[in-house]
Parts: sequence; C-alpha cells; structure tokens
Amino acid sequence: MSTVGETPNVLHPLVAKYLRKERMPHMACPGCGIGQVVHAVLLAVDELGLTPKDTVWVQGVGCNSRITYSTWVGDNVDAHHGRMFAVATGLKMARPDMNFICFTGDGDCGAIGGNHFIHACRRNLDVTAILFNNGIYGMTGGQVAPTSPLGAVTTTTPYGNIEDPFDMCQMAVAAGASYVARWRSTDFKPLANSIKKGIQTKGLAFIEVLLQCPTNFGRYVLKTSNPQDVLKWIKDHSVSQKEAKKISKEELAGKYLIGEFVYRPERTGIVERYQEFLKKYQKD
Amino acid sequence: MSSGVKPGKYFVQGDEAIAEGAIAAGCRFFAGYPITPCSETSETMARRLPEVGGVCLQMEDELASIHAVGGASVGGLKAMTISSGPGISLKLEGLGWGIKNEIPYVVVDVQRAGPSNGVATRVGQGDFYTIRYGSAGGNSSIIALSPKSTQEAFDLTIECFNLAEIFRCPVFLLADETVGHTRELLLIPEESELKVVKRVKPTVPPEQFLMYPLDTPGVINYPFPNIGEGYGICVSPYTHNSKGYASTAQDMQEKMAKRLVFKVTENLDKLVRVEKQKMEDAEFAVVAYGGNARPAIAAVEMAREQGMKVGFFRPIIVWPFPDGEVLKVAEKVKNILVCELNIDGQLSREVARASKGKAEVYLLGSGGVEPHLPAQIFNEIRRLYP
Ligand SMILES: Cc1ncc(C[n+]2csc(CCOP(=O)(O)OP(=O)(O)O)c2C)c(N)n1
Ligand code: SF4
Repeated sequence: MSTVGETPNVLHPLVAKYLRKERMPHMACPGCGIGQVVHAVLLAVDELGLTPKDTVWVQGVGCNSRITYSTWVGDNVDAHHGRMFAVATGLKMARPDMNFICFTGDGDCGAIGGNHFIHACRRNLDVTAILFNNGIYGMTGGQVAPTSPLGAVTTTTPYGNIEDPFDMCQMAVAAGASYVARWRSTDFKPLANSIKKGIQTKGLAFIEVLLQCPTNFGRYVLKTSNPQDVLKWIKDHSVSQKEAKKISKEELAGKYLIGEFVYRPERTGIVERYQEFLKKYQKD
Repeated sequence: MSSGVKPGKYFVQGDEAIAEGAIAAGCRFFAGYPITPCSETSETMARRLPEVGGVCLQMEDELASIHAVGGASVGGLKAMTISSGPGISLKLEGLGWGIKNEIPYVVVDVQRAGPSNGVATRVGQGDFYTIRYGSAGGNSSIIALSPKSTQEAFDLTIECFNLAEIFRCPVFLLADETVGHTRELLLIPEESELKVVKRVKPTVPPEQFLMYPLDTPGVINYPFPNIGEGYGICVSPYTHNSKGYASTAQDMQEKMAKRLVFKVTENLDKLVRVEKQKMEDAEFAVVAYGGNARPAIAAVEMAREQGMKVGFFRPIIVWPFPDGEVLKVAEKVKNILVCELNIDGQLSREVARASKGKAEVYLLGSGGVEPHLPAQIFNEIRRLYP
C-alpha cells in the first residue's frame, strides 16, 4: 500500500496505457464520481482501439476539466470556462480526421457556455461531449448551478434555490444533436458502451452523467459528506425510461430519466457538410 | 491547396483588402460575427475561403468566434477573426487564452465611434488601449499594426500573419472605419513577390520538445506542433510550466509572465514600422495613425505651403509603442500635435510618455463619426506653431 501523497506504483492498466503517469494520482476528492466517468471513457477508447495520435481530449473549466486536463497521453486542449464547444468547433473543422472527446461541467455547459452548447448541437458538430453533472459548482466551492434542484441550499442560495433546473439532454435533443443519452456514474457498462456509440456516431454525441460530488453537493444540498448518501440520492431521483412509463406523473416530478433519448446517425452535421460543400466550391 | 493570391489591380474597400491579404498570407480558417463596419471582410471571406479549401464560419457570437479561431490554429490552420468595438470587448476573453498559450492568429479591429454601440457605421479610434490592456490579468505584450489605406490593409494583414507565426501570439490589425470603407486602388502582386512566413515546426523528437520555452523568455521563431503529430501538446487557461501543465507556483507564474512580455520587449527592433514625412527640417510634428493619418498628411502639406516647418509622423506598428522613434521626433521639434478620434487622448498620452518632456504634446481629439478635416488640423497647427 502506498502512503499518502505517494504515487501508487501499480497503475490501472487503462491508466498506464492512456494517461500520463506523472499526472497521477488525479486531484478529485475522495468518493467523487469523476474517476468513474474517466474510467468508462478509457474503456470505450480502448475497445475502439483509438490512439493518442488520432484522439484529442478537450475540456472546459470545472472539476472535471481540472482532473482530465493534461492527463491524456496525446494532445490536450483546455478552453476557458464555457468555451469548450467553441474551441472544439475550430479544432474539429481544422482536423476533421481526428476524434475529439470533450469534457464539460453542468455550469460550464449550461450556464456560461449555454449558447455555445446549443449552437454546437444545432451545427451537429462531430465530437463526443461528456457532461459531468454534479448539480452544483464543484470547483468554486458549492454555488448554485443551472442544474441544481429546486429548493437546493447551496452557498449562493442559502434560502433554497428558487429556479427550476435545466434538462440538458432535452436541450441537446431539441437543438439537434445526433446522439443524446444520460447515465449515472454507477451505470458503468452502459455508460462505456454509450461513449463508444457516441464516438462512432457522426454528428454531436452528448452524454450526460449524473455523478456524486460529496464535497459540495453532499455537504450543502444533502448535508452529508458520505459519497454513498449522494449516490443513493441520485438513485432515488433517477428512473430508467422503461420504468418511467409505469409510474405516475407525480412520481416522475423532479426525477432524471436515464437511458438513450435520441440516436439519429443519419443526421449529418457541419463537418461532413463542409466537406461536401468544398467539393462543390473549391476551385483548385 | 491553392495559394489564393489573385494578382491584379482592384478597386475595393479596405475591408475586402483585409480578406484578400489574409488569404494570401495562408489564412484558411475564419470565424466572425457580423458587425459594422467590418462585415464586408466576413462576406468576402465567406465567398473566397471555400474557393481555396478554407473554412469560414459565422459563429453565434464574438466569444465563440475567437475561441474557434484559437482552436483552428491549434489544429494547424492559419486563422483570423474580426470585429469592432462592442465585439472586440467580447473577444478580449478569448484573446487572453490565445496570448497565454502562445497561439498564432490574427484579430482585426475595424474601430468605430464608441463607447458601447456608439455610432455603428462611423469612424472612431477608441480601442487603442483596449486591445493593449484589455485582456484579463496583464502580464502580456501585444503586437498591433495599423493601416491607413486599402493597400496597407492588404499588406499589413499579411504582415500580421507573419508576425503571429514568428512571435507565436495573436496579432492585431487595428484598422478603423475610414480604412475599412475607403474604396481605392489595390495592387495584389504576384505570389512570388509576397513574403509569407510558414509555421515553424519542431525538429526535435517529442520527448525533447517543450511546448513553452519558459527558460528562454526572449526566444522567437519557436515551433508550434500540430495536434496529431505525436507531440502531446497541452493548451489551457492556467499558468503553465514548460510542458503546459497547470501550475500555481509563484516562480512558474513569474516565468510565464516574463516569457509573454519578454518575447516582445526583447525583440523590439523587429517591431518598429513608422512613417515619416518632411521630418528632416521639421520644428513641429503632427502625429496620427490609421485612417486619420490621411487628413493629417493633407494638413501638413497645407502648412508647408504656408512656409511652416511641419512634419508628419505615424506609428504603423502601434503596439509595442515605438518609444525610441517618438523620442527622436520629440528631440527635434518644439511641439507635437496628436490627432486622434477619441476625446480622452489615448495615442497622445503614449506620445507624451515617450517624448520624456523633450517637446510639448498637444491633443486634437474628437469623439469620432467623422475623421478630422485637413483644415481643422491645419488651424490647430497654425494656432500652436511656435
Ligand atoms: C469566466 C470565468 N468565470 C468564472 C470562473 C470560475 N469558475 C471556475 S469553475 C466554475 C464552475 C464550474 O462548474 P461546473 O461546470 O458545474 O463544473 P464542476 O466544477 O462542478 O465540475 C466557475 C464559476 C472562471 N474560471 N472563469
Ligand atoms: S468538488 Fe465535487 S465534483 Fe469536484 S472533485 Fe470534489 S467531489 Fe468531485
């Protein structure tokens, strides 16, 4: 066993294969769900046989980006807060031949970057975007997010949140993404498979993960520092689409639907269309 | 891929010349958001870029366009974005990211009368300090070139792209509505006559390459590897070490700040471009930049006709400010009249600073909308002439 602060000498094989050893261990709080999501991403990458030469990790700003940035053995591009989709648009249009796996938070994507998110879906930009939804601002210490539940007490809503949360998946569906799904950090296999499917889908794949943030969501909203309590809250507040059909509207209120919402691989996007367009208008 | 150069004689607006200059310089990615008085550049790029295999996007706003341009440049394409006052304010956020990561690209600012939306269709020169100091956090230098004519709009746009590659940083073309909308002769030379700098590529293997030369702060012509070339580059908004890993250490912040400032300040000799007219025997100097240089030159000619020993001076590279050249002027003349299209006197303040008290510096300011009239400047020269 390693001592505190020392890099464990046995790395997970996927970590050893795809992440920068000198950047390990990562900085997530104990019990945080980010590591579970990264694990699923690595599994998907491995099963698809992607390499550091054909794949770039792109981030926004937030806990998820702090933990994923500069860990991928290939190229890493971290954008300003909210601008991940804008940067990814430039990257992908410059290098349509490469895969871009993009990480964003619910604040990053839903608040400051909301407009870029909607337009990336409208353009159906061919990247795989993974939304780490912890229902709160983690990195800045527990402020309300556009995804925080109604009534949530956070550091900036001491009397309870009076605003309704966004359903980011429904927004992505409405705005035109090719593939949209939502999972919990504990849905390891379906999540990894979904990421695989997302990477293989032309157009924007938007995959939201509900993940436990014991440090902030736990502490302020649920008054617990135990990751298990937060996981239980997520479990109690989510329901698969199949189960949802069987229960009443009242029971569904305030619950997250889990599963795939849309899969329209036939839908083209800006990357493919631009290539077609060039065939027509490029002169020499 | 075609060079995109279209040699010939054209009668076009400055805005269109900027687009042609960009394409000739190898720009193959453009992202913008429409705003007067620079929409003609976006429109020209939309028509011309696909012809040469480039990408032209109209993004959802200025923030998106500058970040997309940064992304495209990291992806290996020469890239440009454009705006005017209210849009430049938005772009400044992305600019910081470009500066910090030493990403080469060009930002065009076709200035209009401000503040805020001001007079959308008319000229102003209020962004002089905005572009220099607007990007959050300081600890950086900026390079900005300012054209006075359609021809210069073309020529200097190419130079902006070249300097962006040489210095590995965003470079501004600080134009204004007068330049953007003046329709006049543009000569596009043969491709062989154009000097276009290619992106410098690393020659060492990835294990030996450091993305950011923090230990050699003044170094230029430093390579920028493309993504996908195996260099494992790291680009982020955070203070970084030489590999690009985020760091909160004070010495790292110090090193990075020095790198971003010194790569410009240690190479000032490569960044001086000024125009001087009739300065040899001048006892009085008129200083102006951009489109407002034109009435200033006309006024100097009027004064000469009246026998006054008046000369004209213009910074073409406006940032870094040509302190040494201005001091030479100040040591020669008694008075300097700075004509610029803002009331607060942005250029004049720099001229006064660089003059070190060797000459009296006067401001002929204006809120904008119209450029100065030659007669207005001439009257001011006559009033102040010793
Ligand atoms: C322009 C800007 N505004 C604010 C911040 C401060 N900030 C950093 S992370 C963050 C919230 C991130 O929340 P979220 O996207 O939900 O990610 P999390 O940390 O919860 O994973 C904020 C507001 C910033 N870095 N930049
Ligand atoms: S603050 Fe929350 S989301 Fe951030 S690392 Fe800690 S547990 Fe995870």
